[in-house]
Amino acid sequence: MYKTLRLSFSLKNTYRVNSILFGIKQIPLIKKILPDALYSVRGLKIFANILSVIWEIVSMFLGKLLYFLIMICGIGILYRNVPVDQVFLHILLLLTIIGAYMNTDMFNPSRDKYYAMILLRMNAREYTLVNYGYNIQKVIIGFLPFSIIFGMLRDVPLWFCILIPFSVAGIKLAVAAYSLWDYERSGFVYNENKLKKHLWIFAAVLLALAYLLPIAGVVLPSAVSMVVMLLFIPAGLLSIRKIVSFKEYREVNQELLSQVVSQTDAVKQAARKVSDSSIATDSSITSKRRGFEYLNELFVKRHRKILWKSTLRITGVCAVLICAAVLALLMVPEVCESVNELIMTWLPYFVFIMYAINRGTGFTRALFMNCDHSLLTYSFYKQPGSILKLFRIRLREIMKVNALPAAVIGGGLCILLYVSGGTENPLNYVVLFVSILCMSLFFSIHYLTIYYLLQPYNAGTEMKSAMYQVIMSVTYLACFALMQVRMPILVFGIACIAFCVVYSIAASVLVYRFAPKTFRLRT
Amino acid sequence: MKFIIEHLEKHFEKKEVLKDIDFTFEEGRIYGLLGRNGAGKTTLFNCINRDIKSDGGCFYLEEDGERQEVKPEDIGYVLSTPTVPEFLTGREFLKFFLDINADSVDKLKSMDEYFDLMSIAPEDRDKLMKDYSHGMKNKMQMLVNIIADPKILLLDEPLTSLDVVVAEEMKQLLRSLKGGRITIFSTHIMDLALDLCDVIVLLSRGELEVVEKSNLDSREFKDKIIAALKEEDHV
Repeated sequence: MYKTLRLSFSLKNTYRVNSILFGIKQIPLIKKILPDALYSVRGLKIFANILSVIWEIVSMFLGKLLYFLIMICGIGILYRNVPVDQVFLHILLLLTIIGAYMNTDMFNPSRDKYYAMILLRMNAREYTLVNYGYNIQKVIIGFLPFSIIFGMLRDVPLWFCILIPFSVAGIKLAVAAYSLWDYERSGFVYNENKLKKHLWIFAAVLLALAYLLPIAGVVLPSAVSMVVMLLFIPAGLLSIRKIVSFKEYREVNQELLSQVVSQTDAVKQAARKVSDSSIATDSSITSKRRGFEYLNELFVKRHRKILWKSTLRITGVCAVLICAAVLALLMVPEVCESVNELIMTWLPYFVFIMYAINRGTGFTRALFMNCDHSLLTYSFYKQPGSILKLFRIRLREIMKVNALPAAVIGGGLCILLYVSGGTENPLNYVVLFVSILCMSLFFSIHYLTIYYLLQPYNAGTEMKSAMYQVIMSVTYLACFALMQVRMPILVFGIACIAFCVVYSIAASVLVYRFAPKTFRLRT
Repeated sequence: MKFIIEHLEKHFEKKEVLKDIDFTFEEGRIYGLLGRNGAGKTTLFNCINRDIKSDGGCFYLEEDGERQEVKPEDIGYVLSTPTVPEFLTGREFLKFFLDINADSVDKLKSMDEYFDLMSIAPEDRDKLMKDYSHGMKNKMQMLVNIIADPKILLLDEPLTSLDVVVAEEMKQLLRSLKGGRITIFSTHIMDLALDLCDVIVLLSRGELEVVEKSNLDSREFKDKIIAALKEEDHV
């Protein structure tokens, strides 16, 4: 028993330590300093081991702390017209039931189980019992401090607070024992990651009862909650016998874990499948053009679903919202003044909106997955002339896709501005419209340029460039930051247009100089 | 025409994969490139195709004693896993390719003639390539590389995953195409190399060397190759 525990610990630890080292190796700059053989460097290993132990301890408590803080007490505070101890127990009981079958540990097909029992052929019964026992202990120890602290804060008697962790463990044991019994009876292996429909519905009902009933002022009386939870304890104790005496752990795990390998492959496959399914199979799609225009037209037509459909939908939604806003202004003229003021100063906010609705990332991903990924292996496609020609065609295409909703939003804002009282300087209308268009132009150029300059994917369609991810995050943060800025239309709009022009020129120069060299498959 | 590689080097961090590749390939021959797993065959191809930068040395073509740079269009590279743009049909891909390369292709044939050449069935020619089998994708990739008529044709494990009939067709095709170009063929399958290739070249310890057949029979020749590949372990 002790040996199994030690082995499974060191296995899990090795796995975790290597994941930490792998993670460190992904950080730009640091990655350059580290040797390739970092997995055998002692100092680093010790450092990662320390992190791993800390994580083991933190994970024991952190999850439970957040659980009590947010799920039970945090939301519980919202219900003011029911006694606090009753709400606490009511929510705790119902969530405990959900957790008992959604978070069993024994029926979670995890990677370390697969390594231990299938690849390394450890004794399945011993491995399962030792790890399960350890995890149940973790549940009890992890729960105890918080059930006492939060329970006492909610006027629950101390003796019951101490028993809560045992009750939670008890129902988990009971569910595990029931599932094992069910396997003996029917041969069905329960998998907590692949729940049957009725269990999902059951969870939804319990959640609704937990959080909706208190709104209506209805909660389970304390006594009922307490009795039910106390009953879980003897149920758990009885279940231990079943769990310990169960003989067929290998069979159960073999079936449970048989899906792990296919899952790993499935993740890789899934990305391809998604991009595959985005290709329209409609045989009426043709093109009369030639060369790269021919390629582009077929690409755009066959990817209508991901390129134009969502754009049209966004445009439609924007149009409806604007009509509704105009209508509202006409019906409730009192708000006109504040809306007018809003439009005059909230232009920076629209950078974020344009960021959110632009199709640049989807477009470049589809370009790579379904087109460049394969064509970049052909030398004719990699010739500088070809790369630049296709860049121009694609830029035109993505600009068209993004310009449509931008035109509607820009036009709509002008109408709103006019309806809400207008402005003294008619230049405002022009700047408003043009700057919104410029924003969409900027994002179109930005994404395509970054894609051509960094080409972040390798032949296996994995993202390989940390730089690319950094730029994406910076773009997001910059747009997010602009949301906080308030500036008059004229000032921000003209700045925006100027920036866009400068950026476009800079981007074109960069692409023309560097893309023929940078636009290739990563290795 | 000769394809000459001089002192080509490539290392990843501290691992030297290609140490000193120094070799002259000659026109009209199929070279079988053999090497252990991880010997650097694909790295060598990627360097020649300029997918990765080499760390030293150079390579060039020599025609009538005149030295020429290797341009991208001089190289055809067929990968082990065929990659074709899946949103196009076979015919569309071919049309696109011919549009782009109309000026550089001599003796332009009709598209159906090209399909016939690769024995791609008429009913498959207008299907999206995402629905093509592995073998058919491979044929399309090969076809496009053949039409471009590159001076150097690099084939990375091209026949390993094809069924016997298609593999045989491909072999015939490669034999018929070897005139006027240099074909370099990497494989793990010894019999395939012996069957198809005119010269067997070993990539071991980061260097290329020819295995002389002299007057050995095929059994003895095989043993010699194996022995040469095994030597690596003792160094």
